[in-house]
Amino acid sequence: MSMMPKTSDPTADAQASAAETPPTALEVRDLNFYYGTNQALKNISIDYQRRRVTAMIGPSGCGKSTLLRVFNRMYDLYPGQRAEGEAIFDGVNILDRSLDLNVLRSRIGMVFQKPTPFPMSIYDNIAFGVRLHEKLSRSEMDTRVEDVLTRVALWKEVRDRLRSPAAGLSGGQQQRLCIARSIATRPEMLLLDEPTSALDPISTARIEELLDELKQEFTIVIVTHNMQQAARCADQVAFFYLGTLVEVDAADRMFTNPREKQTQDYITGRFG
Amino acid sequence: MSGTVTKSNGWAKSPVAARRRAIDLVATGLSFVATAIAILMLASILWTLVSNGIAGLSVVALIRPMGPPGSHGGLANAIVGSVIQTVVALLMGAPIGLCCGIYLSEYGGKGRFASTVRFVSDVLLSAPSILIGLFVYLVLVAPFGHFSGFAGSVALAILAVPIIVRTTEDMLRLVPTAMREAGMALGAKKWRVVVFLCLRSARVGVLTGILLAVARVSGETAPLLFTSLGNENWSFSLAQPMASLPLAIYQYAGKPYDDWLALSWTGALLVTVGVLTINIVVRFGIRSRKG
Amino acid sequence: MVSIPAEQPSLDVSPIPGAADEAFWHGDRLFRLIVTGCALLVLLVLGGLVIAMGVGGLKAFAAFGPQFVVSNVWNPVSNEYGALAPLFGTVVSTLIAVAIALPLAFGAAFWLTAIAPPAVAEFVGSAVQLLAAVPSIIFGMWGLAVVVPFVAHHVQPFARHVFGHTPGLRWVVHGAAFGSGLLTGGVVLAIMVMPFMTAVMRDVFMAIPPMLKESAYGLGATRWEVMRRIVAPWSRTGMIGGVVLGMGRALGETMAVTFVIGNSNSVGWSIFAPRNTVASLIALEFPESPAGSLKLSALMALGFILIVISFASLIAARWLLREKSA
Repeated sequence: MSMMPKTSDPTADAQASAAETPPTALEVRDLNFYYGTNQALKNISIDYQRRRVTAMIGPSGCGKSTLLRVFNRMYDLYPGQRAEGEAIFDGVNILDRSLDLNVLRSRIGMVFQKPTPFPMSIYDNIAFGVRLHEKLSRSEMDTRVEDVLTRVALWKEVRDRLRSPAAGLSGGQQQRLCIARSIATRPEMLLLDEPTSALDPISTARIEELLDELKQEFTIVIVTHNMQQAARCADQVAFFYLGTLVEVDAADRMFTNPREKQTQDYITGRFG
Repeated sequence: MSGTVTKSNGWAKSPVAARRRAIDLVATGLSFVATAIAILMLASILWTLVSNGIAGLSVVALIRPMGPPGSHGGLANAIVGSVIQTVVALLMGAPIGLCCGIYLSEYGGKGRFASTVRFVSDVLLSAPSILIGLFVYLVLVAPFGHFSGFAGSVALAILAVPIIVRTTEDMLRLVPTAMREAGMALGAKKWRVVVFLCLRSARVGVLTGILLAVARVSGETAPLLFTSLGNENWSFSLAQPMASLPLAIYQYAGKPYDDWLALSWTGALLVTVGVLTINIVVRFGIRSRKG
Repeated sequence: MVSIPAEQPSLDVSPIPGAADEAFWHGDRLFRLIVTGCALLVLLVLGGLVIAMGVGGLKAFAAFGPQFVVSNVWNPVSNEYGALAPLFGTVVSTLIAVAIALPLAFGAAFWLTAIAPPAVAEFVGSAVQLLAAVPSIIFGMWGLAVVVPFVAHHVQPFARHVFGHTPGLRWVVHGAAFGSGLLTGGVVLAIMVMPFMTAVMRDVFMAIPPMLKESAYGLGATRWEVMRRIVAPWSRTGMIGGVVLGMGRALGETMAVTFVIGNSNSVGWSIFAPRNTVASLIALEFPESPAGSLKLSALMALGFILIVISFASLIAARWLLREKSA
């Protein structure tokens, strides 16, 4: 078991894989979403590029978080919520009712707005997800834990207290732990729902740096309220308004030269 | 559905996944069984009551007092006795419970005395009811030398008070502080604000608590055993031993006389229907108010 | 009842009427005095209850000393009384009740919070709570009419058939098939306290932050895994609090037990044998205990022990339920 197979030469690796794998990780077509009778998303079609960061922005209630939660079927927990249309991931429509959600969720991980450490030790927080899907020996698990904690730049800070409760970490550390927990199950895609909204500026900066690292290996979708954050981290930006996708474009183009009037109004701070 | 896209083997279901799904399925099934058992027990109790009690439910049972086996006795004096004792218990318990709840919510705050009262009220809430009967016997029966309906009412009131205290306090706490401040700002005295603003806006919840207390108290047997004792005849005086439905049931149940046995089931049916009706009304009332 | 006058002139009136009746009411001070007095009354009732039991039992404690708690004798003829048999019956029937009710309540709370659609959970949850509202004497009658014959004709013969010759368990299933006994008492108590436990567990399960659950689901955990690994550990103290609360109810229950436990003052291994509990012994023996007799004092002493046990369990429950919110 090599510890970090993919980080030896990230650029070459990314280029190589870009050549051999299709550039689109998740392909959404005509997606509609309903809370009961209330339609929250209207005819969304969007491609998420492999190993890129896509930021979803828009005013509160525009549907960006709703869309994010569709991708790992979180809405299935709540009766009355339903999605129609297609979202193709690895050749399968993930909206398909017969899909094994546990497999889906192990392949598409999610990190929430507020850090959600489980009421157990740091080590067990990471081992929790891994144990669900794989049978690892003690030493393999140790390696996995060290690996993911190193990748989120937490290893040095917590190596001496892996067995102490995760609740004792600071907010920023907890959020990095949650990211580590998500990547420990080796997903292909990572969904982040405003992951820094509860954090201080320094912790926020560290998470943003981390995203840059992680996109070498994962397809990342991040919902954010913070336009600067979207500009800093994202390769692609999608702007949502009132349940519709107004515009999606490369980040630099979107912020310098948006095509739509609504997008321009929003990013220049005229509403939202 | 075209199938042009390629699937990787990432979707393949591992044996681990199958096992986890199986465990989840078993747990779900067992949890359903547990819930079903509770519902089945309720159904069994209701069915037992109805099938045994409906036969004895007649005009005779409702208008004639209890009597010796074979004398076509009824339950009328027990029903009336139950109503009297419950009402008297409520007349004593409700004001005390209300005032105590008001104290805890509006005056006591987090002080030590208030915390103690709160705890003691909770203790009373789950104190063995037979011991409350024994206590009232020591205080109100033994010194006077005879059992009385009044003593029974006091025992029931002691059971009712903590229920009313709890709901009154909870409901008053839901009244927004802004309402109290607005009242005070108009120059109203605190007691007026509490009684005419807070208590009034919380009245549905408070009434709920009182009704639940009625439901709880009216089915109680143990605290009456040593206090009101029961009575074969009509008894309207609170100073005398008084009949009640639960005591009549207790006296008649398991006896070798068919008519007594039938009456005990009829009494049980009446008590349960009454108690459950109050509970359903209260629950329905709360829900419709929320929504 | 609560007669709040429908249209009392209140705040929209100038403060002058308030000032006018001040002479009569002494305003706030009198009101404060009344409500504080009622609060004090609650304290006095409980204090009186404990003291009355203690004082009433003094005679028995003095006559038998510590021997009272460990003696198995209950003999009105020789005027010798011991608390062992009823205490044994109380504790064992309560333990049986908790052992049966705990998994049922846990399962029902799991089903109601995680599996059932909200509308169904609402309805079924209300029905389970109705079970808690059924008066205890009804549980007793139902137990006598339904559970006792069932135990006599099915459970005990089956248990004897299976375990009757197993060395360790032989004595546990030993005895004539009366149907009424420790196990039957425990079963009826279990059904009685199970709704309380379910309600508490449901509350603590619902109190878990939804995001914590979603995080676990987000990692691909099944509903059972989320319950077992996240929700249950998170709400452990609350669950224990609920169990102890239910236990307290079972300890002091009279009517449901009196009908089905068989009322025999004895101690032994068999769970099918008739036994006794403190509450049912008091209910049955009290009418034959003249005022001032040693027997009555022994009953009071039993009551005192019972109330101490039930307070202790309540204090424990409160302490456990509080820890989480702090």
